[in-house]
Amino acid sequence: MVLHGINSSNTSAPLRSRLQASIRSIKQKGLDMLPGAEFSSEKFLYRLKDIGKNFSSDKQRLVLGATAIVTQPVIDAKNKSVDEKTRKVSVARTVAKIIAGTLTGFFIRYGCIKAIKAFSQIPGKGVPKYKTIFTPKGITDNTTDAFEQYRNAMGTVIALGVMLFTNFLIDAPLTKFLTNVFTKHQETEDKK
Amino acid sequence: MSSLGNLFSKFTSYMYKHYGENPGTMLVHTGVLGWIFSAAGQLFAIALNDKIPKEQKSFLYPQEAADAAINILSFYIITSSFKNVASKLVSTGKLSTSKIRNYIKSKGINPAEYIGKLESNIEKDFPEIKDDYKAFKNGVDVVASTVGSILSCNIVTPVLRNQYAAKKQKEAIAEMHKNDPQKDVKPKTLSMDAYIKMASLKFPSSNLKI
Repeated sequence: MVLHGINSSNTSAPLRSRLQASIRSIKQKGLDMLPGAEFSSEKFLYRLKDIGKNFSSDKQRLVLGATAIVTQPVIDAKNKSVDEKTRKVSVARTVAKIIAGTLTGFFIRYGCIKAIKAFSQIPGKGVPKYKTIFTPKGITDNTTDAFEQYRNAMGTVIALGVMLFTNFLIDAPLTKFLTNVFTKHQETEDKK
Repeated sequence: MSSLGNLFSKFTSYMYKHYGENPGTMLVHTGVLGWIFSAAGQLFAIALNDKIPKEQKSFLYPQEAADAAINILSFYIITSSFKNVASKLVSTGKLSTSKIRNYIKSKGINPAEYIGKLESNIEKDFPEIKDDYKAFKNGVDVVASTVGSILSCNIVTPVLRNQYAAKKQKEAIAEMHKNDPQKDVKPKTLSMDAYIKMASLKFPSSNLKI
């Protein structure tokens, strides 16, 4: 029993390292397969830096909404699991959901990020305490990239909390209203 | 009250430390949180809706939970994979700027032996060019996270969800008609009435990314 234990521990170490080496080799091969690139255009790099610095979640929501309006209605329109009439209502509902969700999602994120900026000032003379409520301890410079990213992140988290309520209060009735408008429009078009 | 203040202070410090220098990670994590909140809102809406009978609620809860799992998992797996692969390409120098590559060469390092190697890590190996590297990496991370989220939210998730919803709705309709004398006649696709009936049981913004 003891011998068996010694044997298994002696053999498991090289086995583990062989396994690790195999995993590394697979990962390296995977990395080798991916394309590489070297960027030198100052204009492109400036744009990329700007995106990394200023592309906050409100802008991401707009981009998601804009691409959703192109892809999701097409996916619903090609859904063969439901009949034709159902597909039309489904497309109308999807378009309505995208419009309502994107509008509320964008404006609430945008507003919350702005609000966090207003309430995360650097403590100092003439700055009321309530304006520093979201300033992390020990921060003395509010112009760094890291602090800007923090404001975006905090604003987004607060926005998500707000949207728990607006999802019921704004999105739901707006989606219902727009779905009815689109469905009626579709029915009128079909009658022509 | 002061412990609540301390807790809040710890929370702001945590947010600063974890997301201050990682905008791509922030977009992935807040995106997942958005899906979780959306699913929670959906479950609450069912729980608070008096018009839904108890038996149907017991069917809708697991359906919503499964729906949420599809949304959250596909978003997280696809978006974080895109971001992680992009980060690896940048940290090993496979995706890089001329300035960074020229700096590596100026240190007497053979690019063929360093660039694209799994163990290479530009941020750790060359802290002198951290600012240029970080600016480039943050930009690539944000682009990768956004492309990943477009793919997951707008293509993969709707396709998976349509298939899952159609399957579940057919099961529900079959359940509704099980005492029907014509129960053997199963519809091949959903009818308009059935769809509206099923949709009316649910909160109108179901599956809406908040």
